[in-house]
Amino acid sequence: MSSHPIIKADGLSKKYILNKNTSVQSDTLYGNVINGVRGLRNLTRKTQTEEFMALQDISFEVNRGDRVGVIGRNGAGKSTLLKILSRITPPTSGRIEYIGRMASLLEVGTGFHGDLSGRENIYLNGSILGMSKHEIDKKFDEIVAFSEVEKFLDTPVKRYSSGMYVRLAFAVAAHLEPEILIVDEVLAVGDAAFQKKCLGKMNDVSKSEGRTILFVSHNMQAIQKLCNKGLYLNKGKMHSFGEINDIVGHYLQSGEASQSEFKLPVPEEITYGYAHTVFIEDMSGNSLTEIPVGDDWRARVLFKIIKPTNHFIMGFGIVSSFEQPIRTSWSAPEDLAAGDYEIIFKNDDLMLTTGVYTVVIGLSSEQRAFQYVDNVVSISISDAGDTSQNKRIVNTQSGLILNPMSVSLKKLN
Amino acid sequence: MNKDKVIIDSHAGSFFSFKEIVRYKSLLNNLARRDFLVRYKQAFAGIVWALIKPLINVLIFGYIASKINSGESTALNFLYVASAMLLWQLFTNIFNEVSNSIVGNANLFSKVYFPKIIIPLSTILVCLVDFFISLIILIVLFIIVGQPVHWQLVLAPLFILLTVINGFGIGLYFATINVKFRDVKFIVPVIIQFGMYVSPVIFSTGFYLKRLPEWLHWLYCLNPMVGAIDGFKYSLFGDSIIYNPGYFIGSVCVSFLFLFVGVNYFFKFERSFVDYI
Repeated sequence: MSSHPIIKADGLSKKYILNKNTSVQSDTLYGNVINGVRGLRNLTRKTQTEEFMALQDISFEVNRGDRVGVIGRNGAGKSTLLKILSRITPPTSGRIEYIGRMASLLEVGTGFHGDLSGRENIYLNGSILGMSKHEIDKKFDEIVAFSEVEKFLDTPVKRYSSGMYVRLAFAVAAHLEPEILIVDEVLAVGDAAFQKKCLGKMNDVSKSEGRTILFVSHNMQAIQKLCNKGLYLNKGKMHSFGEINDIVGHYLQSGEASQSEFKLPVPEEITYGYAHTVFIEDMSGNSLTEIPVGDDWRARVLFKIIKPTNHFIMGFGIVSSFEQPIRTSWSAPEDLAAGDYEIIFKNDDLMLTTGVYTVVIGLSSEQRAFQYVDNVVSISISDAGDTSQNKRIVNTQSGLILNPMSVSLKKLN
Repeated sequence: MNKDKVIIDSHAGSFFSFKEIVRYKSLLNNLARRDFLVRYKQAFAGIVWALIKPLINVLIFGYIASKINSGESTALNFLYVASAMLLWQLFTNIFNEVSNSIVGNANLFSKVYFPKIIIPLSTILVCLVDFFISLIILIVLFIIVGQPVHWQLVLAPLFILLTVINGFGIGLYFATINVKFRDVKFIVPVIIQFGMYVSPVIFSTGFYLKRLPEWLHWLYCLNPMVGAIDGFKYSLFGDSIIYNPGYFIGSVCVSFLFLFVGVNYFFKFERSFVDYI
């Protein structure tokens, strides 16, 4: 196999300009009027902006058949890099050259329309991903077989279960045949069985068919299994690029790989106060970067109250990687004086399967909700350790929730 | 194996590439199919709705025209209005749909690359299907009135194409602005409503020119829909509907100017749409 680079990236940078948003809540008539007036005023005045470098001077070369794992923390620029490579957004400076056909899977089921049948959506989604009608026709039976939804092919997908929906969407994507495939981790999350199927398919595609893959994931195991090269991004800059095991080594040593402490963004407008730090810990307060499956854990949230707040409630929600809320817990309402507080949410009764979950935190007073945080805190449940030792769990792949029911058996008559 | 070399650099714009459109023609068809199928799904009367709106417009404005413009027979007035109204609706549908198409499909191109021009192009297909369905009204009216057609009928597709060009060119311009300023959603209906009264929809160009002061004539004829509608009427009725060839040519030139400006503006910013949407 030739070692000419199939992708050559040279000095890529991406700058975003953020408008400082000083608008009041716009879901009221008052807010709309005020924002309208401010909007008009801002036309004549220079609005306050802030520049943000999402990527800075990234250069690398990928050879044909390479499988490159892109790693780094949330906000390191991984998704921005994939978006630039897949031509969704242009870089602010720098250039990329690549040879051949490229397809990107940044989302499962792009363009799926609930009112259309499974059959119609296969054609729609396939053509969005760049397949011709002829290609889809040729692969149609394979796609349907892979998705296991034969019986519902003519049912609108809005009536599908979420599992069927994702299977169908992935089936279309899996049958693309580009020379270069760009995959975001959306494909490799979800329940373990689905993850395995996706990774297996990607493995086939890359190893047996010699395609080039760029793959973003937080799952080091999956990356090491699938990829031979690694690209490690840190705060928009390239930390290192090379053999996958070296790169993963750098990443794990940096201590960035997983977090047990999360800083929450300070809201622009502070009314009563705000939560600022979340710690994920075990029951005795030791920080946990990864929670062993089946173990108890707790989340400790630090927050500040700046003026007396009546009927304060904090909500803490756990959301699966399919954006399915799993559970939400609320603190009992309390009247709080100004000061610093700590609140602990204990998870000692629910066993979730392995995977990454996001946490949603909401603060409210008697009058209104005043802080809402999602997509900042994530918890990662790993099968670290010997799961077979854990008597509470029979099989980590038996479902999202691993708590068994109580079962009784008796002989009749 | 496809050996095409692709270069990605920092330009916000791109170029019109006919080759790419051909490569994505199945997307073009599938998007149009989606829009068409989704519109009438779960609607009991289904596609009949494509007939009802133009029919009501033709009846109302045909009646008004025959009351005001008593120089012609009532039947002929209805035919004039029907032909102009259907073409005008083709224009407004394309204009409106194209200007909202980019914002409305942001979820697609923020996740997958494809030439974005495919989206507005696909809306044209949907609007054309609606138009050809609404032509049933015109055909039935022609049969009822017993209006003969002439050789000029073969020119009709040209004027339908001109209408598409008008809606597409202006629509693309507004679609691009819409990415950053959603005010477009409110402006377009105003332009459409105003536009109908300065186009030969209810009344003929002759009617307008007779009543407008001389110095406003050229302005009236810079309206790109004047050329398209008068041409369409000419192809259907064959008589001297075009009152002044100079005006007609001027109007057609404006059509192509708008197309050029719209397409250029669109491609100037196409690649950075995602960053502003």
